[in-house]
Amino acid sequence: MGYGRFLLKRGVQGVGVVWGVVTVVFVLRFITPGSPIDTVAPLDASQETRQRIAEELGLDQPLYVQYLDYLAELLQGNMGYSYISSIPASVQVFQKLPATLELAVAASLVAVALSIPLGVISATRRHEPADYAATSFSLLGISTPNFWLGIMLVLVFAVELNVFPTSGRAYGFGQTLAAITGPEPFFTVATAWLASLFLPAITLGTYFTALITRLVRSGMLDELSQGYVRATRAKGLPETLVRYKHVLRNTLVPVVTVLGLQLGTLIGGAVITEAVFAWPGLGTEIIRAINARDWPILQGSLIVIGCGFVLLNIAVDALYAYLDPRVVAE
Amino acid sequence: MKIGPISISPRTIRNLRKEFRSSGLARIGVVLVVLVLLAAVFAPLIAPHNPRTQTLDQAQLPPLGFTDTEQQTRSEMVNGSIETVTENVTVNATTTYPLGTNSLGQDMLSRAIYGARTSLLVGFFGTVLAALLGVTVGLTAGYYRGRVDDLLMRTADVSLAFPSLVLAIALIGLFSRFQADVAYRITDPLVSTGFAGWFRELVGLPTPMPETVVLPTVVILVVGFVNWVWFARIARGEALSIREEEYVKAARALGGSDARIVFRHVLPNAITPILVLATIQVAAIILLESALSFLGFSGTTLSWGFDIAQGRDYLSSSWWIATVPGLAIVLSVIGINLVGDWLRDALDPGIEGEGGL
Amino acid sequence: MADQNTSRRRFLTATGSAAAAVALAGCAGGDGGDGTETDEPMDTTEGGMETTETAEPTERPEPTTREGYLQRANRLIHDEAPWVFLHRQFSVYGQSDDIEWQPRTDERVAAYAIEPATDSGDDVVMTQSQMDSGLDPQDHRETPTDNIVLQAYEGLLERDAEGAIVETLATDYQRLDETTVQFTVRDNVSFHSGDSLTPEDVAFSINRIVQEDVGIASPQVDQLLGVEGAEVASTDDRTVNVNLSGLNPIVFASFATYCDVMNKSWVESNDGAYINQNMEGTGPFQLSNYEQGVSVEFQRFNDYWDDEAAISTFTINAAGEASTRVNRLVAGESDIAVNVPPQEVSRVENNDGTSITAVPSTRVIFNAMRYDVEPFDSPLFRQAINYAVDLESIIENVLQTFGSATGQPTLEGFFGYNPDLDPYPYDPDMAEQLVEESGYAGAEVELVTPIGRYLRDVEIAQAVAAQVDELSNVSASARQVEFSTLVSQVTTGNIEDKPPWYLLGWGNATFDAIQTIQPLLASDGSLTSYSNDELDRLLDEAQQLPSETN
Repeated sequence: MGYGRFLLKRGVQGVGVVWGVVTVVFVLRFITPGSPIDTVAPLDASQETRQRIAEELGLDQPLYVQYLDYLAELLQGNMGYSYISSIPASVQVFQKLPATLELAVAASLVAVALSIPLGVISATRRHEPADYAATSFSLLGISTPNFWLGIMLVLVFAVELNVFPTSGRAYGFGQTLAAITGPEPFFTVATAWLASLFLPAITLGTYFTALITRLVRSGMLDELSQGYVRATRAKGLPETLVRYKHVLRNTLVPVVTVLGLQLGTLIGGAVITEAVFAWPGLGTEIIRAINARDWPILQGSLIVIGCGFVLLNIAVDALYAYLDPRVVAE
Repeated sequence: MKIGPISISPRTIRNLRKEFRSSGLARIGVVLVVLVLLAAVFAPLIAPHNPRTQTLDQAQLPPLGFTDTEQQTRSEMVNGSIETVTENVTVNATTTYPLGTNSLGQDMLSRAIYGARTSLLVGFFGTVLAALLGVTVGLTAGYYRGRVDDLLMRTADVSLAFPSLVLAIALIGLFSRFQADVAYRITDPLVSTGFAGWFRELVGLPTPMPETVVLPTVVILVVGFVNWVWFARIARGEALSIREEEYVKAARALGGSDARIVFRHVLPNAITPILVLATIQVAAIILLESALSFLGFSGTTLSWGFDIAQGRDYLSSSWWIATVPGLAIVLSVIGINLVGDWLRDALDPGIEGEGGL
Repeated sequence: MADQNTSRRRFLTATGSAAAAVALAGCAGGDGGDGTETDEPMDTTEGGMETTETAEPTERPEPTTREGYLQRANRLIHDEAPWVFLHRQFSVYGQSDDIEWQPRTDERVAAYAIEPATDSGDDVVMTQSQMDSGLDPQDHRETPTDNIVLQAYEGLLERDAEGAIVETLATDYQRLDETTVQFTVRDNVSFHSGDSLTPEDVAFSINRIVQEDVGIASPQVDQLLGVEGAEVASTDDRTVNVNLSGLNPIVFASFATYCDVMNKSWVESNDGAYINQNMEGTGPFQLSNYEQGVSVEFQRFNDYWDDEAAISTFTINAAGEASTRVNRLVAGESDIAVNVPPQEVSRVENNDGTSITAVPSTRVIFNAMRYDVEPFDSPLFRQAINYAVDLESIIENVLQTFGSATGQPTLEGFFGYNPDLDPYPYDPDMAEQLVEESGYAGAEVELVTPIGRYLRDVEIAQAVAAQVDELSNVSASARQVEFSTLVSQVTTGNIEDKPPWYLLGWGNATFDAIQTIQPLLASDGSLTSYSNDELDRLLDEAQQLPSETN
């Protein structure tokens, strides 16, 4: 399959996924009790006031009209306006996106940086103390609800020891970069930025660290027992080369696939982590939008996440081919 | 290769035994799961108190071994303005409430025991539902391939593109429209037959227990709908590979109906990975349920997740309210995961890391 | 009218006695209710609460004043018990010792009333439970947004810490006739952009709320009910006339709560998205940075018409979790933490440099019982539920004393409050007997509660249900639902859509009984769960009379 055709196919699939997301949200909207008018209008608003607000928001139209209107607007790049704040959904969603991306990337970095060495050590020193420690850690990690972990971390490190801020996002990545040339002292800004990011990233990253550690460990044990490992060893290649060049590389193939699929889990985890740390990201926005029935914001957020999912899986496919040349041969 | 109805081969049993003997973790896992199961099934016999009974004047008692001395601030309204008075209060643990009480003076131990019911009910039925849905979709997609496969798997993609937690919250809204009550009450057989009362009288715990068990149907439906994708992917993979096997081709050549072939030949061969996945999914679904409760979307008032959500507000003053159910979750999920590891190591179904929160 | 020489800031800052506030309120038009005497004519033999004998109500002389009618309405409601009367919420704040500040009854926090107590008290940060729903001062109606817009926008009238009406952008206000009231607009007031405030701006701002073709579908329109429009009466005298559809006894109380004045030319030259992200008011602070959903930063407005604000900057951010708000306060990241729940109070008090301040809020928490469904159609059964609830124990143990018991829908200090009514006592025996008499022995009832909307809502509902369940002849349970689900059921305008028994809270910022009783209990109320001809009559009579005592 040519590269162009591959991309085209993925692009079409991506559009399909986004269309699916929009449709699902509209279906949800139709069947979910509670109307956005209830959050916009005060409790004692008269029926006339409610009617006026409904007209202003376009909610008096039949749902299929709203749906087609929305799709038409979306094709022109307009995701609608928040029912609550009247601000364009695209503005509101993209303002929140960097905070979540930052959190997700930091958590992924933590996860990858910790889990691959842990998994490798665990697999190559099977039944040694290091293995038991890593296995226990990863077992705890996948078994602990992350909101609970977050709360405990806040209590210990922020409230009792006072080493990290309790919540919130001191500076963004962008602001930190700007501080290099800007008037604010770079070191102070960077420290505050990292400090506020630390606990949320650990909270979100722990589950994935544990998950990947387990994947790497068992994958590596599998690969180490394969015939080709014995063959390469027999050829006299150094053990470390065998381990890292061939075994780890092949181990990472399924790991990468799984991670691509776990984006939803990552976002779900981010929703909770953001709730615990009052992190002003997309997760907080989604919960708020659901509670307030602010459908344009929910739709916009989910479209952005859906696109992220599609792009990420394209990236995963590319990485897949790079890591495991056998895939291309198939 | 075994053809025919599902049965466990002697080799499988041998593998399970061998792995169980060699792995201490597997044994710990089985012990934990059995303990949680016993607690859930026999809750009306062993819970020291009725988990719903409030003793407002016994609220926020610490667990045994802890004494809580704290300053408490109370308010008084004097001529329309409020004055606050801070006083020292010492709260001692009592053996009546060995794990302490929550903000309404309910016994944490009894709630932890009863909470096991909710978590396991949601975990078990949610997984069964997810497996039924997912396996049906997956087998259909893998067996028929082509357009059916494309359609079903793109649906799976859309489902994956939704964060599961967000999907679950949205679905809860959906279901509560059709069913006003998000939980369904069923009579507790141990209590209604009078056995629990008789037994408790015998051991000197005469407190009457709740007569009904709350079955959080909506949460079960929701976690089932959210987690089917993982089963679908596994089942599809198995179906894809098995349909090319000679014996399936042979069965088709002999004119066997599709349904018959799928159920007699494809499904039995896919059952091992599905079972292992199901074990892991029970753990994942218990975590998902607790997350839903944490965010206030579950609708049940007697579950570990709900207790954590309530206890979170009291973390600074009464840490045990959230800690006891939190530990209960961690221990049961660890147990289930260990059993899952044991099954996987013994049966080697070739699945890794499917599922998730 | 208020002493013109007194600075508005000094005035807001002062923690005047209740008596002073009442004196002011009396002259300004919104009597706060004095709480000691009652206008309700009493039968001399009437000795308190004979609530079990509602079948034959005691004959009482007809009231003569508006307050008298409202007090009679409250008595009727107390006796007929369409609610399980619970408590008045307290507003509890944690505050840093770096500032001096007194909270207000209406839950609004004006940074103008904050003074620095130490050097680090010049830049003040407040953490509330959620951020704004857009910055348009007329396109919202909930406290978190109020708190943000009121720093930069002002109305014609305002309230002081006790809830009495004071002038801001109006220097005078009066009724011209039954359907017209007149405001005189303050001179030498400038907007943050430098434009001067004109009577035209004032008239436009009023019309933007009440006339859809002028402005937006404002949720504040029901607060200015009966206001048909405004026009400039005289540019030279700076007067604006407001036309009413009929006598509105609480028109000034309404204007003291809502209707912020905006700059007409600024509004007309910008779109809704811009107006929701920028501010152009006359208030003591101007917007310096706005990050939607994250934080709003204000700086002192140096051309303010009154004394400049005492602090230079004011930042508002939000955290939904109470523990997070307290953590920020204790860690010194914030100076005011809004809504500190009871269990966090001692953490604030015990921390060096922070303390708790509390005021009774304008919010009452209750359980509505639909009068049209069994078993709640029986007044005896409804009274029984009230007797079954150990309100004192709930306030003591669930709210840790941060709340006060109520026995009528109107709060103490409000116009129309009846000081002769006490909360129902806890009397389970009486409750069981009343249940028997009502004929509904063996009834099963379910209390629906929103989750996380009001302080300890789920726990209160659980406690109420458990106490009712203790009765030998009633079984009760509590069920929690998402707040928006409950709202969608109670706001349809059909009583049939409501759950038979549900917990709700009601904030009334007009300090007048009518704004609680009319929507919640009158037959034609938009949220009503009750219908009683005598109550409707009392309310009608009350609305035919002015509130002003002169």
